[in-house]
Amino acid sequence: MSWSVTKNRYLWWGVSVVTIVAGLVAMVISWTNPQIQAPLKLGLDFVGGTRLQVVLDCAQAGACDQPVDLADVRAILSEQGLGNSSLQVVDQTGISIRTQPLDVDQRTKLVSQLAQGLGKFDPKQTQIETVGPTLGRQLLNSGLLALLVSFVGITVYLTLRFQFDYAFFALVALVHDVLVTIGIFAILGITLGVEVDSLFVVALLTIIGFSVNDTVVIYDRIRENLKIHPENSIDDVVDDSVNQTLTRSINTTLTTTLPLIAIVFFGGETLRFFALALIIGFVSGAYSSIFCASTLLGWWRQREA
Amino acid sequence: MGKHRGFLLVIVGLLIAALWVIVQTPPRLGLDLRGGAQLTLQVKTTEKVRQITPTILEATLKVVENRINGLGVSESQVQTAGDDKLLVQLPGVTDPEAAERVLKGTAQLDFRWQKPGTEAQLPIEKQLEGQLLFEQIKLLAAQAQLEGENKPTELAENQAALDKNKESLAKSAAAIQNLFEKTDLTGAMVREALASPVGPGSQSWSVVIRFDTQGATLFADLTKRVAGTGRSIGIFLDDKLISSPTVSVEYAQTGIQGGSAEISGGFTAQTANDLAVQLQAGALPVPLELVENRTVGATLGQDSIRSSVIAGIGGLALVLVFMVAYYRLPGAIANIALMLYAIYTYAVFLLLGVTLTLPGIAGFILSIGMAVDANVLIFERTREELWAGRTLYRSVESGFERAFASILDSNVTTLIACGALFWLGSGLVRGFALTLAIGVAVSMFTALTCSRTLLFISLTFPSLRKPNWFCPRLESAR
Repeated sequence: MSWSVTKNRYLWWGVSVVTIVAGLVAMVISWTNPQIQAPLKLGLDFVGGTRLQVVLDCAQAGACDQPVDLADVRAILSEQGLGNSSLQVVDQTGISIRTQPLDVDQRTKLVSQLAQGLGKFDPKQTQIETVGPTLGRQLLNSGLLALLVSFVGITVYLTLRFQFDYAFFALVALVHDVLVTIGIFAILGITLGVEVDSLFVVALLTIIGFSVNDTVVIYDRIRENLKIHPENSIDDVVDDSVNQTLTRSINTTLTTTLPLIAIVFFGGETLRFFALALIIGFVSGAYSSIFCASTLLGWWRQREA
Repeated sequence: MGKHRGFLLVIVGLLIAALWVIVQTPPRLGLDLRGGAQLTLQVKTTEKVRQITPTILEATLKVVENRINGLGVSESQVQTAGDDKLLVQLPGVTDPEAAERVLKGTAQLDFRWQKPGTEAQLPIEKQLEGQLLFEQIKLLAAQAQLEGENKPTELAENQAALDKNKESLAKSAAAIQNLFEKTDLTGAMVREALASPVGPGSQSWSVVIRFDTQGATLFADLTKRVAGTGRSIGIFLDDKLISSPTVSVEYAQTGIQGGSAEISGGFTAQTANDLAVQLQAGALPVPLELVENRTVGATLGQDSIRSSVIAGIGGLALVLVFMVAYYRLPGAIANIALMLYAIYTYAVFLLLGVTLTLPGIAGFILSIGMAVDANVLIFERTREELWAGRTLYRSVESGFERAFASILDSNVTTLIACGALFWLGSGLVRGFALTLAIGVAVSMFTALTCSRTLLFISLTFPSLRKPNWFCPRLESAR
């Protein structure tokens, strides 16, 4: 089996560009949306606020016969001046409320009002999260800084191990993967209301660490093949190298994403979108290594020659 | 062959050690898994205290620790985080309100004088309090153990005893407070507090306090009143007596002048330093602000751990099946190496006392997927060599050799990203970076050493030395 990746390179680049542009458009739409005002729908971790999740205590007879009525909850919230909070019913007997940051007294008052209106809650299932707005901003800043630092670190390392143009195109592939993942989450934010939290930043950094693996493996081959066959054109070398590493790329992507796919479908709520972000990033990483990083390198070296 | 036997011994030895560690050490579960409250407090600057130095942070930590101990929560933990934050972990606490109330606000240090006629009572009350505190420590330890053992009746009984103990402690503290009367001298007038050795080469330590001008006058007054009476000065932090030194009779005329005082009496370097830090903290009116509060109910944590672990294991099972189906004998050996990897890594987590959080577990599951990558690289190389017509032994050998550079480069880049995460991240994010980095490091060892050794040992059995078991359809293709 031999197939030329460099022949249709404009097609491959086109696929990437279209995906990225779609994501960018989604980010702009999300930015102009008065309810989001950011490229991504930012979660509690970044904007600050209080999330309160309470579940009715079903041990008491009759407490859980009826699902929670959102109108009741909204009435209680408006009474407290929290009318603009977002509300969600969880598994019929639970409610998840997101408000501006509340201090202890405000929160205690809210919970007791809710308990009066709806019934007793089970303390074992209560979940409270409060993040101050300053901390949120710090988290966001340090997350972005971490992204930048790893970009620089990886570029320096690859320049030392290979050459600068290798490192540069690996970086292009990395930015590609990050943009694709962010773009898809921007789309998910608009359509399904998916929020990004600090785990999303973790996912992005893991994608960076991992998707560059794929690029490095192909680069390693290109460097080796250049040594063995210095007489071949760079495009041929790239084609050979991609072919020789293709099975590995597919198999590795498969083995890493299999447990993640299982988590998306059967795992707990907390990790679902984290795992999804990783899957998107890893698949995009495999794609960009094969179709972008290597073909760009070939195109660049050919121009030089 | 001798070399491989040696490695095999190392691998088996490590396996036994790892299993022993796993049996011996209970895992430390993060609050997101076991339920509980995690509070982040920020130490605020004021006009007087313009910058939070490590000393101030340390002093504030002591104050917060004192307050947390007053709550009586088993296995509670206070750590510094960053330059100006404290991280408080209260496992098992479902109602963080009490904690939040106690933790906010500024530490109050003040000096009181003992009421006349209470000389005999103070030592009795102090002894009682000491006993109660000792009891509390025992009860808390029991509580932590019972929680691990899942015995609801004993747990409830212990909890009741703990509540009763807390009540008695509060009563005892109130009784002690009652023996003293407030003065105008407060921590705001303390300029500094230091631990210092009593004499050169001495094992005995004392605490030196320096007051500002106003404090010096008040202190002279106070010492004059109690000097030689056998009654003491009560030093209270947050209304709790932290020290009750007496003043000797020679100061009865003038009190201790000069705004400097030395508290001596049986301090070691450690206890003197502790008191100095507490005094220093009381002297610093730095307000605390609660910037983050995450409370997870116990049931929620358990549900998500269960489903994620089950899902992760299910996914891994698929990976194992795939490896055997695609790579045959080497695949089976890689699977053994993979299981070794999982056992070793988990043992390292326990040894390093890594707190397992949900993202941490995700990092672990992910690193298992990544650990396969090294083996995939090696086996692909081995296959290429076989296609090129090399002998089986030679192919396996160069598979390992030639894949090494790729494995190294790709793992180093992952470690760079981990480093950035660990350096700039906080809390959960750090946990993930650490578990992923440990995973990558261990996977280098298992992929390169364990699968290599096992593969070469299997090659010594003639029945296993069949190229078709390494690369299906090879024979027919030739």
